[in-house]
Amino acid sequence: MNIVLGMMLLALLIPIYEAWQDDDIWQKLLAFASIATKTSIMILVVAVLRDDWMIGVVGVIILSVGNAALMLLAQLIKRMNDAATNYE
Amino acid sequence: MNDLYLYGITALLPLTACILVFQVNPYHALVIRGIFGAIAALVYAVLGAADVSLTEALVGTMLAITLYAVAVRSSLVMRLGVLKDDVAFSSSSSSETMAESQAVHPDSPTTFRRLLAELNNQLSQHYLRLELVPYPDQDALRQALMTKEIHATCVGCDRSEAKISERKELAEVTQDSQVDEAYYHTETRIQPLYEMMQVEGLSSVSRVTYVSVSEQEEVH
Repeated sequence: MNIVLGMMLLALLIPIYEAWQDDDIWQKLLAFASIATKTSIMILVVAVLRDDWMIGVVGVIILSVGNAALMLLAQLIKRMNDAATNYE
Repeated sequence: MNDLYLYGITALLPLTACILVFQVNPYHALVIRGIFGAIAALVYAVLGAADVSLTEALVGTMLAITLYAVAVRSSLVMRLGVLKDDVAFSSSSSSETMAESQAVHPDSPTTFRRLLAELNNQLSQHYLRLELVPYPDQDALRQALMTKEIHATCVGCDRSEAKISERKELAEVTQDSQVDEAYYHTETRIQPLYEMMQVEGLSSVSRVTYVSVSEQEEVH
């Protein structure tokens, strides 16, 4: 359990580093998408290993609904970028 | 100790919080806030609080980010009042309308576009957005500036003959090519905006002045 989750933790650090270092907002958004999916998968793994269905259901809901916020944010940022490039 | 991974996962929360705190750009901070919410939901779920985790993911991440995005988008904006004709020039991207507008005003579209590009460049350094608000004539423009509907106005100097002669006089006195090129006149009622435009120089395309609007309307 420790080894599996430790490796997932290391994998989670990669997009966090990317979100921290990269100045391009789209790269940050990609890192956000990666992290949102990875964390919900980790919740599911923990739920299965502990045989705890309550956490499992929460993991499924976060995994399926979590991307909606991402879509809204991406839409707003895209519009902002369009407005900025109009004048160039 | 069987639950070593708990320490690792919990350590992610202060890590992302620090990254979030040190963001300068509001839009970047918004994205990092989403990452922070995802990590927080993970920590809560792993520590056994499934209900808190679900609330954090749905309300703390989804709703909060959407509301923040709307707030940042509507507050970090500079509203620039322009005349309707100028907007027609600037938005004419097709060659047909460009030719048409150039027939009326030989150098207006390019200068206005250059002015907007320059202004947008300066504003984006301060994470501001430029929004053009068209008005039918100069009186409406002036009125809007006084009633604080807009932050600044931008008009072409050739609209009235008086301003042209004033510009020529200025050019003669100073013998400066920059003044001669100054085709537009930008007025703002916000001191920081004026300083921003003054220091970093829009002077090649526009003359920038500051007007103080009386605060009496604010007192109730």
